[in-house]
Amino acid sequence: MPDEIEQDPGAPDTVTTLLTCRDLHYAYLDRFLALDGVSIDVRRGEKLALLGANGCGKSTLLKILDGLIFADRGSYTAFGAEVTEDALEDEQMNTGFRSRIGFVFQNSDAQVFSPTVREELAFGPLQLGLNRDEAAARVDDVLNLLEITELAERAPFQLSGGQRKRVAIGTVLAMNPEVLLFDEPTANLDPRTAEWLTTLIEELAAADKTIVHATHDLDSLDRLADRGIVFGEDHRVAGEGPPARLLADRDLLLRVNLIHARSRLPVSSA
Amino acid sequence: MVAASKQLQTPDWLLRRDAALCPCGCVGKRRKQSFVQKTLDGGADLLRQVMFSDDTAARRGLLQRVDARVKLVGLLGLVVVAALLKTIPALLVLYAATLALAVSSALPLGFFVKRVWLFVPIFTGIVLIPATLSVVTSGDIVLTLWYWNGQPEGFTRQGLLAAALVVCRVATSISLVVLLTLTTAWNRLLASLRALGVPRMFVLIIGMAYRYLFLLLGSITDMYEARRARTVGAERHDKEARRFVFATAGSLIGKSLVMSEEVHQAMTSRGYRGNARTLAQAHPRASDAAFLLVVAAFGVALIIAERLVAG
Repeated sequence: MPDEIEQDPGAPDTVTTLLTCRDLHYAYLDRFLALDGVSIDVRRGEKLALLGANGCGKSTLLKILDGLIFADRGSYTAFGAEVTEDALEDEQMNTGFRSRIGFVFQNSDAQVFSPTVREELAFGPLQLGLNRDEAAARVDDVLNLLEITELAERAPFQLSGGQRKRVAIGTVLAMNPEVLLFDEPTANLDPRTAEWLTTLIEELAAADKTIVHATHDLDSLDRLADRGIVFGEDHRVAGEGPPARLLADRDLLLRVNLIHARSRLPVSSA
Repeated sequence: MVAASKQLQTPDWLLRRDAALCPCGCVGKRRKQSFVQKTLDGGADLLRQVMFSDDTAARRGLLQRVDARVKLVGLLGLVVVAALLKTIPALLVLYAATLALAVSSALPLGFFVKRVWLFVPIFTGIVLIPATLSVVTSGDIVLTLWYWNGQPEGFTRQGLLAAALVVCRVATSISLVVLLTLTTAWNRLLASLRALGVPRMFVLIIGMAYRYLFLLLGSITDMYEARRARTVGAERHDKEARRFVFATAGSLIGKSLVMSEEVHQAMTSRGYRGNARTLAQAHPRASDAAFLLVVAAFGVALIIAERLVAG
């Protein structure tokens, strides 16, 4: 029997728990269910993996965590304040929330929309109120950090998939958020870029950033997560625990369609 | 219970090998390019042109060194001068100046001239033909084409001169605009529009539209390539082809709607609340001011000289 996440709302410890979701329900167009009673906590400084097959609701949950869409039912609290559409209308709340949570979309094309990479990296810091000199200095630092200085004046359509992913990550890092949300970070990346990204996420976690990422890639799970939450195809939480324990639970992984009968797991079943 | 993977039931026809070519080895007929191939070529050509413009904008020439805002103001100022000039010799002097600027900006002269004169006959020459005839512009007939009630009708000297004046003006104006686009990177050109007081939101939307044009161009190319890959024999221009084109357009609209929602979410995620802020451009240098001064002096001198010569 897989571990079921604690469903009791209780009073989350806002010092160690940054994000709290309770009984979230979400359906697209009121017809296509994406989340069905999901409750999760995201703790300060942890690397949390949201695991599940395609269409199980991982990306939807990430968008709710980033305040881009709002649950039909249930509550979401970030940094001690409830996040609702109405609450984010408040300028101070909005700026505080947006500056503390960054979201790297799966589709980098959607995230890289400015005429040049430099403008793209500056977009977030400028919206959050940094002056132009500070934003420009931050952009230079991010370009150096991600080793993409030579791409600064390039247009997005001149970038390869891997370069676009780097720029997309840079756009979020430039805002220096406390929590980083990644939607399928290593999907469609060549092995070298995927390894670079995995290392970067490890380094960000080491720098006390809180990482939440959605994935169905189990190969790098032990490096990318301290804890995993498994979603079933019924859009509910099916299990939770450290990567080694989840990877050892072959029945759970088979049931939620994360592996098939012939899959070889990175960690052998206990 | 875990669902075991089912054995695939492969149909027999999928296991047979069909001869793709005629067994006798005869050669088929060659056909003209289909609309699919033309669309693919058009997409590739657009990308090639954009890449070429980026290359020329990155060269180390005179105009490439000038600040984009100053260049925009200066060259648009010369377009106004072209509109104010009333004689062909004065316009030819200005056109010669654009050629000199093209050479000093490391632009291939042949390409520059061709790019301008390819459009001038199409957009102005054809339109101006009636104006050269005596039925529209009366005057001294230089070439008689027909007689009407015993009177000769044809090209008039006055009509031809007026047409030549317009052609010169259009060619010079287009040359100035081509100079601007070939020596300025798109993003700098866009940012320089702010210097002319174009609203920031307008500039932002144009920039995003340009950026996603290439993404949608990629989608079109993919769809047309997929169609070509599945087309056996010649592509027909029939009802089926029209249906494909409409389906492509519909699919693109759908994709662009999904993309626009995602882009908006990506903007919102980074703090956008309806008032976009952008990086400021570097301040113009003394050399930029000197360029503007020289351009202004040249334009004013040309207008005054023309007036003096015309008496």
